Amino acid sequence: MMRDTRKVNTYGFMAYPALPPLFGTNSPGPVGGLSSTTRQTLSNGMVVLVLNNPSSPTVSLCGAVGVGAIHETADRSGLADFTASALIRGTRSRTYQQMITETEARGCSIGADAGNHLSGFYGKALSEDLPLMLEILADMLVHPTFPEPEMEKLRNQMLIDLREYEEDTGMRTTRALRSLLYPPDHPYSRLSFGTIETIQNISRDDMIAFHQHYHPAATSIAIVGDVQPEAVVETLERIFGDWNPPETSLTRTLPDVPPLSGVQRCNMTIPGKVQSDMVMGVHGITRTDPDYYAFLLGNLILGQLGLFGRLGESVREKQGLAYHVSSSLQAGLGAGPWVATAGVNPASVEQAIQAILHEIERFKREGPTSEELSDARAYLTGSMVLVLESNAGLVSTLLDLEIYGLGLDFIERFPDIINRVSREEIIAVARTYLSTEDYVVAVAGPPSSSATCAA
Amino acid sequence: MTAHLTRSHTLPNNLLVLTREVHSAPVVTCWIWYRVGSRNEISGRTGVSHWVEHMLFKGTPEMPAGMLDRLVARNGGIFNGFTSTDFTAYYETLPADRLDLALHIEADRMMNANFAPEEVERERTVILAELEEHANEPWTWLDDAVRAAAFTAHPYHHPVIGYEADLRAMTRDDLYAHYQTYYMPNNAVLVLVGDFQTGDLLRRIEHFFADLPAGPPVPRPHAAEPEPQGERRVTIRRPGPAAYLQMGFLVPDCRNPDFAAVAVLDAVLGGARSLTFGKEVQTNRSARLYQALVETELASSTGSYFHPSYDPSLFELYATVNVDHQADEVEAALLREVEKIQQDGVSDLELTRIIKQVRAQIAYGSERVTRQAMMIGMWEMLDHFGRTETLLEELMAVRKEDVQRVAQTYLTTRRSTIGHFIPTGNEE
Repeated sequence: MMRDTRKVNTYGFMAYPALPPLFGTNSPGPVGGLSSTTRQTLSNGMVVLVLNNPSSPTVSLCGAVGVGAIHETADRSGLADFTASALIRGTRSRTYQQMITETEARGCSIGADAGNHLSGFYGKALSEDLPLMLEILADMLVHPTFPEPEMEKLRNQMLIDLREYEEDTGMRTTRALRSLLYPPDHPYSRLSFGTIETIQNISRDDMIAFHQHYHPAATSIAIVGDVQPEAVVETLERIFGDWNPPETSLTRTLPDVPPLSGVQRCNMTIPGKVQSDMVMGVHGITRTDPDYYAFLLGNLILGQLGLFGRLGESVREKQGLAYHVSSSLQAGLGAGPWVATAGVNPASVEQAIQAILHEIERFKREGPTSEELSDARAYLTGSMVLVLESNAGLVSTLLDLEIYGLGLDFIERFPDIINRVSREEIIAVARTYLSTEDYVVAVAGPPSSSATCAA
Repeated sequence: MTAHLTRSHTLPNNLLVLTREVHSAPVVTCWIWYRVGSRNEISGRTGVSHWVEHMLFKGTPEMPAGMLDRLVARNGGIFNGFTSTDFTAYYETLPADRLDLALHIEADRMMNANFAPEEVERERTVILAELEEHANEPWTWLDDAVRAAAFTAHPYHHPVIGYEADLRAMTRDDLYAHYQTYYMPNNAVLVLVGDFQTGDLLRRIEHFFADLPAGPPVPRPHAAEPEPQGERRVTIRRPGPAAYLQMGFLVPDCRNPDFAAVAVLDAVLGGARSLTFGKEVQTNRSARLYQALVETELASSTGSYFHPSYDPSLFELYATVNVDHQADEVEAALLREVEKIQQDGVSDLELTRIIKQVRAQIAYGSERVTRQAMMIGMWEMLDHFGRTETLLEELMAVRKEDVQRVAQTYLTTRRSTIGHFIPTGNEE
């Protein structure tokens, strides 16, 4: 967790807010495409994906270890993220000061954080500095020492961030939505970076113990740039070869999620705010669910395509209620929610909710038009080249392919997968998941008389 | 690294066209820049440039509202627009064989945007919602207050999005007049970067743009900020989660000979930037402010902010005050770091580190055609696109004495505006 919380417009005011990209980060540069990636398993079980992209003198890296917030207890919520963020704060051979001095002096960046299922790490360097970046990364993953004074400094920074979140309408509504969608014993009922209380309670010993679950056999790493794949694999074998901790079996079966019943709503007030954020949500699916591609297309048409799909057309373009309004399908290793979100004047909250419900209802009844469906297909398949333009886009795509077992030929298969999804399948998925009777809503905004929950 | 050279062409209607071939991915980006921003606005009409930008997404007779976004999506592209103090820009990034679409859109909306009255009304509340979204952030209040105090005669005084009262009073005619004054080939720069052959591309550009009529010369603002006569202070008291600090020092525009030295000063304090003056990777933790404020736990975050501007603008320092400390302590610590440079200068090691960091930031930025075009266009708006190819050398030529001198000359009490955001708790 490393954020600069100063939110000031750097370049100016955008016509439309930026949506997170649909694939990995952003934008096929490498000759031969992703299929030419070298994929190898090191002797300790770690999976390595390396791709040569000579178009710029840089290299990007990203990887993941199969541990995350689902492996925490509720009273240690945020432990996975705290542990990942602490890796850079000191190792057997380097202090935090040495870490940041050595990397930043080369314009090289390394970091780590954690989500629900995975702890991720990432880095960027000029190709000439790849050996240093790999050495430091191995040091962080294998030999972190979690030095006490550094842990306290990091904790205090995380606590300030969490205090800021307490007064952030987006964060508060997201947290409330999660607590309404999932039962308390389900890790998705919480946010993965913890709370003020749990971060205060996490000890250095907790982090050392959690780090024991980092295992090479549960780790994948993707590296793309101006590099020689064979040499990179050899280096990784050398620097990670002695990482052979005892096997720890970390299995977590997620509790059942009871279906939603009726409308559950949480209104929160935050002093000093002038706009209300609203989020509505229902239960969704995993990335590997057979319904995934139909849901992906449906969500695209409903709340993203062009300028935020039908929701944008209705709530922003036709009714002028919001600057940002969109929907997202949070399908990962676990079944995350589908959510629609908007920022509106406090007086327009009900109108915005009704407008979103109306569009969902209409979409379930009528489905996409043939023009919308062909536009959505054309967008998904056409924009792949933008996703695969940069090393950062390439590494995150490669890692996704590995994590979800999609295969290195996925990019070639993708157009066919998308073009096979029928209009009927999209309607069926919308009718299955997008209930307008059983759903949850969270609103946070300026003080009024309508506060109904304290989430 | 392949040297990608930018080439310049001017059409008979005085549209400047800048092109750069990059063949590493089958992608192309098309940007059009207009020399107009909040800098060109007068009192009572603040926010007009940004609103006009919004209206360019609301249709022309040939491409009615909603069609543009469908066309770009259908062709696998992304697009957006933004307004700044000094310029307004629009872009589409597309698979390389779809470039005609972008050229068509930009030529069409340069002259033919509808500004339909009912669309203007709907957009009013959209922009007010955008304003309210920013007002939800404590930093916005502090940033607006510091700028308003630092600039008394120059339009950098007001926020780019405009004041609420002006947005409520704006008429369709105000917007349309602004559009007609500034949107014309002789006030625009078209920037294309990506997988194309320049000769073929220029023929396509002529097809779409050559017949657009040039307009009369564009009015140029003459406002200048007078030399500050002493420090200014502003305090914002509002509900908020922490105390925040922002200070600005009036520094020269990007064409001034001291610009590169000020940029190096910014890098010494807060880490080096790319040529768009954003950061592709974090470089601040080994820099002076983080070391002095965050490592000592006075602040939970801190940094400097500086970007090239058409007229003299602010060099900023900011920090989030830690729970057990006061804004005054953090202010003193920030100023102490400035004084250290004024008294003792900077080290060779720092200058070497900064140049390596800038090289890395430039390399990362060049991975995407969109970012390259942004860099080229931004510099042409502010000075000349050639700066993108000489700026690294300018930075390398900066000597230790230059950094110390610009710190002494510009980061003075007299030229400072210091702002505190003091959280008022939850009494509201």
